[in-house]
Amino acid sequence: MSVTPVRSNNRVEPAPVAQSKPIIAIDHVSQRFQTKARRDHLALSNISLAVEEGAFVSILGPSGCGKSTLLYIVGGFVSPTEGTATMKGQPIKGPGPERGPVFQEFALFPWKTVLGNVMYGPRQQGVKMVEAEAKARALIEMVGLKGYENFYPKELSGGMKQRVALARTLAYHPEVLLMDEPFGALDAHTRTRLQNDLLNIWERDRKTVLFVTHSVEEAVFLSDKVVMMTRSPGRIRQVIDIDLPRPRRRDELLLDPRYQKYIVDIERMFDDSGDVELPS
Amino acid sequence: MKSVVTRLAPVLACLGLLVAWQLGSLALGNDSFPTAWESLRAIPAILTDKESLLNIADSLRRMAIGLVLAVAVSIPLGLLMGRSRAVAAFFNPLLMVIYPVPKAALMPIIMLWLGVGDLSKTLVIFLGVSLPVIYHSFEGAKAVEEKMLWSGAAMGMSAAERLVRIVLPAALPEILTGCRTGLVLALITMVTSEMIARQSGAGNILFNALDMGQYDTVFAMIIIVGAMGICFDAAFEVARARLVRWSEPQFDIPLSFS
Repeated sequence: MSVTPVRSNNRVEPAPVAQSKPIIAIDHVSQRFQTKARRDHLALSNISLAVEEGAFVSILGPSGCGKSTLLYIVGGFVSPTEGTATMKGQPIKGPGPERGPVFQEFALFPWKTVLGNVMYGPRQQGVKMVEAEAKARALIEMVGLKGYENFYPKELSGGMKQRVALARTLAYHPEVLLMDEPFGALDAHTRTRLQNDLLNIWERDRKTVLFVTHSVEEAVFLSDKVVMMTRSPGRIRQVIDIDLPRPRRRDELLLDPRYQKYIVDIERMFDDSGDVELPS
Repeated sequence: MKSVVTRLAPVLACLGLLVAWQLGSLALGNDSFPTAWESLRAIPAILTDKESLLNIADSLRRMAIGLVLAVAVSIPLGLLMGRSRAVAAFFNPLLMVIYPVPKAALMPIIMLWLGVGDLSKTLVIFLGVSLPVIYHSFEGAKAVEEKMLWSGAAMGMSAAERLVRIVLPAALPEILTGCRTGLVLALITMVTSEMIARQSGAGNILFNALDMGQYDTVFAMIIIVGAMGICFDAAFEVARARLVRWSEPQFDIPLSFS
């Protein structure tokens, strides 16, 4: 499960290209909503996208482009008006533990402690109490919250809450992580720390991640692939492979002209279309 | 120093009320308005009288049964209404019709159907308690964050499991606010039901004493009923604070750590 990246000549061998079928396939998906004024609103228009197993894919676009809706469709929380979404060839009909969401709003269970929240998923799946607790404690330590096991969500800062939410989702071993602007509600400093930590955790076991964001830098820093979307109605504008070595370190990347070029190129593309939304 | 004043404040308020009562009663000199002292003096006689105690026990039994049944029915109904538009659309109009009707006003009709016994009185208590509990459960369930339910669904919880294991605890602070109102209303409807259908109970003692012109007993009973209300409310508040400790404001101090 865990692949230790091999460093050679300060570069990492690219992860083996998945020859198998994509783990997630979105096929000609459109989504319409009825607005309050009874007007038909087209949120997503004819989206097709394949996500390879083990890839970190960001969906990048301006506010209101339907990028979160696309994630909810993959999560099974919303069913598309047209088109299909499949996981490993099976149509997605509803939420399931193989696709674990992490929301911008954290959505922790406030009546449960940190430990209780992280144990919730394993317990739901019938893991024995002792085992679930040991697993939860290890995860809490991994996300850097050792010592906070018995705190309630209300006692935690936003960054800590999001760490708990990540641990809670990782605890039930989803095959795909669905992250919906997870760091969008955090201040810049906290956000940077969580990006670094997420990358460290991800580089250990390389789960498939679908990551929604409106920050160009965040998308380039984290991803193997950036899916650029257009302003409403959301269409895929371009898919860009981010060919940067892993494990990535922020200080190294910030000095790396290739990293800078990706960011500048993507921002220019958004500029050209008037879809400008600079990272916060 | 400040905390001593804060703690003494309720005691001072009660003493002040009694003093005002005493002075007001002395100033009016009306037979039907005994002094605070006379009324307080009548309390031990009631609380040592076996007949009176049996009456009060009857009242409390009906109140407990009505309250428990009402809470047991109202919470699930309110939660279902909060999570299902169809259920809410069906029950909302019914409840809107019943809400403003004083439940004691239904007593005569209920007595016609069910007699003057325990059943009628318990039913009135049940009706009195139900509405605030339904309403607060409904509001609490409606306010539950969608993403919290999605998180549960992703863990493999069914809709029924989500209702019991996410909506119920998430709405608990609001539900308990409704239950607190319900508890007080149970006491009120308990006494009013006994006022209309006299047979046994605390209300029975009170109105019999009124008929016989034993005004000190009337006021003593008012004090006893009031004291019961305060005790129930205080006990409930202790239990409530424990159950929803996680949502209390003093917990709202985010630590400065990312």
